[in-house]
Amino acid sequence: MKSVVTTVIAAADAAGRFPSTSDLESVQGSLQRAAARMEAAEKLSGNLDNVAKEAYDACIAKYPYLNNAGEANSTDTFKAKCLRDVKHYMRLISYSLIVGGTGPLDEWGIAGQREVYRALNLPTGPYVAALSFARNRGCAPRDMSAQALTEYNALVDYVINSLS
Amino acid sequence: MLDAFSRAVVSADASTAPVGDLSALKAFVASGNRRLDAVNAIASNASCMVSDAIAGMICENQGLIQAGGNCYPNRRMAACLRDGEIVLRYVTYALLAGDASVLDDRCLNGLKETYAALGVPATSTVRAVQIMKAQAAAHIADTPSEARAGARLRKMGSPVVEDRCASLVAEAGSYFDRVISALG
Repeated sequence: MKSVVTTVIAAADAAGRFPSTSDLESVQGSLQRAAARMEAAEKLSGNLDNVAKEAYDACIAKYPYLNNAGEANSTDTFKAKCLRDVKHYMRLISYSLIVGGTGPLDEWGIAGQREVYRALNLPTGPYVAALSFARNRGCAPRDMSAQALTEYNALVDYVINSLS
Repeated sequence: MLDAFSRAVVSADASTAPVGDLSALKAFVASGNRRLDAVNAIASNASCMVSDAIAGMICENQGLIQAGGNCYPNRRMAACLRDGEIVLRYVTYALLAGDASVLDDRCLNGLKETYAALGVPATSTVRAVQIMKAQAAAHIADTPSEARAGARLRKMGSPVVEDRCASLVAEAGSYFDRVISALG
């Protein structure tokens, strides 16, 4: 799984050398930002259900046609699945905050995403609307510290970019 | 390859739950500089550790460097030194990552079978790893023995923490033990 530490180790291993000073500097740089990332991950995972529900509600409010018969949010089963998807993205964002890299999002969220949505005939616009809401809803210092919010926003932006 | 953080994430993902307890990871972050110092202590002394461990192994079993022994001729002695360095290198990676997966996947997987096929004696290999374990403990805690090192005594610096990184000494020891149990 891609993170600063695993990237450094993979590079050192490919060259067959012990971790060098600059390798250790890279890891230390990641650890210095880790406190803010941990804070964001803790706040997000402690409130995951509410964050996902709000984002989901916002996207349905923006695209009410999704409730029409035959659309992606028309039945209770579909509604539950839409909410679950948003929740999955928020959970993977909390994982990526912990790891300190985009590894969890890349491997479990983004890989194959386009193909799945195409096969199921799902629009990606509403996902972007939900995630944009979740991004703009965050507020420092009400929700978390400014640095933590920066780390969180960067990852939400990463997902939005993958969907657009 | 996983590190301490991705290990927590992978096990949380198995139950589609957010990572529940972050206290262990926060402790990892808080003591991050100690870990980097420990890795540096091993990396900076690596060649000395390896040659001493192999020399110690041979001192205890002179048959290894006589004709027919596994460290005779020089070609096989060189292979032995190289393997000692490889094992120590992967233990260092595991210590840096805080997780044994890199050691397991890239070093220990199939090592026992390879050594059995090449006729490398497991008892001698284990002895060399045990010596490296003791050396690593001394370097991380920065308590090299003056009686044994004599004029070659070399310290990494003045001790900065009371417990002399006891938890990291134990963690590094556990990775060496992993190598030993994989060979046995």
